Amino acid sequence: MNPVRRFFDGLHPHVSPGGKYEKLYAFYESIETVFFAPLERTRRLPAVRDSLDVKRYMFLVIVALIPHLCFGIYNAGYFARMASGLSLAPVPVVLTGLWLVMPMVIVTYVVGFFWEILFATIRKHEISEGLFVTCMLFPLTLPPATPLWQVALGISFGIVIGKEIFGGTGRNFLNPALTARAFLYFAYPVSLSGDNVWSVLVGGAERYVDGYTAATPLSVAAATPDGQTVEAALEALGYSPLELFFGFYPGSVGGTTTFLSILGAIFMIVLGIASWRTILGGVLGVLATAYFLNFIAGPESMPFLSLKPYYHLLIGGSAFALVYMTTDPVSGTHMKGVKWFYGFMCGLLTVLIRVFNPAFPEGVGLAILFMNCFNPLLDYIEIKIRTRRRVPNV
Amino acid sequence: MTVALNFPRQHLKRMKIIQNRKGYDLKLQGAPSDDLVSLSAPATVAVLPERIPYIKPRLRVKVGDPVQVGSVLYEDKTDPRVGFVSPGGGKVVDIVFGPRRVIREIVIQLDSEETYAIFPILTADELEGISREDLVNRLLAGGVWPYLRELPYRKIADPDVEPPAIMVGLDGREPFQPNPESYLNDETRPLIQYGLNALKRLSDKVLVYTDPRFSNLCRTFKAELTHTIAGHYPADDPGVLLYHIRRRPDENRTWFIHGQDLLVLARFLSEGRYPTERLYVVAGSAAAERQHVRSRLGAPLQHLVLSAPTCPEPRYVVGGVLRGYTGEPNGHIGLYETSVVVLPEATEREFVTLFRPGFNKPTRSRTFASSIKGAPMIMDTNINGGRRACIACGYCSDVCPVDILPQMTLKSILAEEVEEYLAHGLLDCVECGLCSYVCPSKIELVETFCQTKFDYHKEQVS
Repeated sequence: MNPVRRFFDGLHPHVSPGGKYEKLYAFYESIETVFFAPLERTRRLPAVRDSLDVKRYMFLVIVALIPHLCFGIYNAGYFARMASGLSLAPVPVVLTGLWLVMPMVIVTYVVGFFWEILFATIRKHEISEGLFVTCMLFPLTLPPATPLWQVALGISFGIVIGKEIFGGTGRNFLNPALTARAFLYFAYPVSLSGDNVWSVLVGGAERYVDGYTAATPLSVAAATPDGQTVEAALEALGYSPLELFFGFYPGSVGGTTTFLSILGAIFMIVLGIASWRTILGGVLGVLATAYFLNFIAGPESMPFLSLKPYYHLLIGGSAFALVYMTTDPVSGTHMKGVKWFYGFMCGLLTVLIRVFNPAFPEGVGLAILFMNCFNPLLDYIEIKIRTRRRVPNV
Repeated sequence: MTVALNFPRQHLKRMKIIQNRKGYDLKLQGAPSDDLVSLSAPATVAVLPERIPYIKPRLRVKVGDPVQVGSVLYEDKTDPRVGFVSPGGGKVVDIVFGPRRVIREIVIQLDSEETYAIFPILTADELEGISREDLVNRLLAGGVWPYLRELPYRKIADPDVEPPAIMVGLDGREPFQPNPESYLNDETRPLIQYGLNALKRLSDKVLVYTDPRFSNLCRTFKAELTHTIAGHYPADDPGVLLYHIRRRPDENRTWFIHGQDLLVLARFLSEGRYPTERLYVVAGSAAAERQHVRSRLGAPLQHLVLSAPTCPEPRYVVGGVLRGYTGEPNGHIGLYETSVVVLPEATEREFVTLFRPGFNKPTRSRTFASSIKGAPMIMDTNINGGRRACIACGYCSDVCPVDILPQMTLKSILAEEVEEYLAHGLLDCVECGLCSYVCPSKIELVETFCQTKFDYHKEQVS
């Protein structure tokens, strides 16, 4: 017999009703079905069912996110060591990155599972696999310097207030990972914004080495003095378009790389687990708004208005969020037609918040949360239009 | 200024071509061959009142009674004119009851020499002059009326109502149904024409449709066909055709009859006795012999499948894998069903399925490697996943052939928003089963829709 099977069979009596740990059954089921496909026979029609289940659906999103995590580990380690004036050989960089990022990921999963198990046990349902994705997304949006207790608090807020109080997965209208991120941003602005949170000091260093620029491209863009172009200001700090495209700059753990976001988008669209309408709508929204700002920008206006539109997809977390956050099927629009509008508006608001609101350097998270609130209304409108076209049958 | 050109539709002799863009064809292994085997008479035949939706059966026989082919076994309490007749001559040997005394089967042991209830023969000329009422009474008396059914509930047609149209489907797309070309050909064409003439006495508008891929059938019945409808399953369903062609709400009460059932109806009228022969398919990856079989109406499943299935734990799905029900191994086939699909029951929990590419995992999505090759695959009866909350993936709306929004409609059903789910088109549901098939959260959508339609109907009549 399979040793893994034997292991789970040994656990099963303890978590079944009457067992010592029966309250942990939801957790047991969640992990056991990772290893063994569930077995339940159809009792109603149709007699056969598709092989796809929610677990595989969500698992494939995680697969798309793994490269981001690996890149984030490398990137966080690289800039931490650079800021601290240490060697930039690959092995120590990766080790430093692991030491910085993995605790955040582990804390997120442990705390996230705690809340999910608590609610699943009280409500007597299984753990929904959306949790795996939420807990993977959340640390990737954080600065590497986030204290672990804030990570724990943030994911708690995201899971409980963003999802569970509305009834759990499938009933939440806000993206839980973004809710968690926004909560931390507003609750602890000091440790989550500014230029000094994106690169961590390691190896006993007390301040950034001389000449190290910790500024993120977004803060550079917002602070470019008049008479200079943002592109030139970025170039002066070593942020060439190619560098920005691959994401080699200080920023959130996994959200800086447009390159991997595009790969992830292609992967998820080819597999049919993310809406290409939403993603394309978002990209169009960013580009169209930025073009419009270029158009209205005069010689007097701030340089950010004249930034080349595609730069908005290269800097900050817009590409990452448009690919992974807007496409959350539950908090996105459920109807197909309005996905275009939803995506477009996310892109539009992202650019507007970035350019016009000095309080928020990055706008994509808030833009998506804001549009999440409109999604039930958008769905309602599309359903109304569709049902009006029907020949009634009552 | 626009001028309305208003031609009465039946005067246009051109066939209408319709494309069903939604739906889905299962990649299911175990299709039947075109071989046709005529089986000898079985020892018993049965009728299955439990499988006739929307009726309240009242027994007219008891165990031990002698019966003829065509004598009434039970009737519908709500309309006693609608009788259900015996498909065999002999003796009632068993009446099987289920929970809450639902009548499962009335089993008849066949005599070696069966006797027939004799009805008056109706020649083609007499048919031209017969009144609608007279014809309805003959069909009711002979027990062939239940073959005429009424949308949207798919219950037996109301004899007192003149329908807006009757649809005749010469087609079977569901996996798996008999190939219609094996029973609709030059030989049976006069019978079909006769049957269509009979239907024209019941309604002014008779629509005949099929799938254009049945090219022989299209050639043979060129003069009779009014529509062809191409596309994925369930393009063969009368509800799908109606969804594409209806213009007014009163057309929703259209009647329908399947091609093989029309043959039964025509044979009954022209020969004066209840036809007992039927064409079935036996299919499915676990069936030992996959073929067309000619046998008796209400034959035992074991008689139809001929030899023991090729897996230790077989499931007999009667009437197609998507719409059919699970039959008892020692049970019989029902009035409307024309196929027995034998599937292997799910028995094993596969190790690390989640991490496998899945070359042999049938799916409509693109999340398994199997979607590259597209060849038919073995399916068992596993629901293939854990039951979860709806994640709004929208797959159900993608396949729904009549553009219901299944996930939204389900929510309004759960919230008991009657107006809302009716506006979504719940009653248009053709009960094809695709929404439940594709759902990754394994939600029992179609079952809920059928039940809600049933409950709504009950509320309407009471």
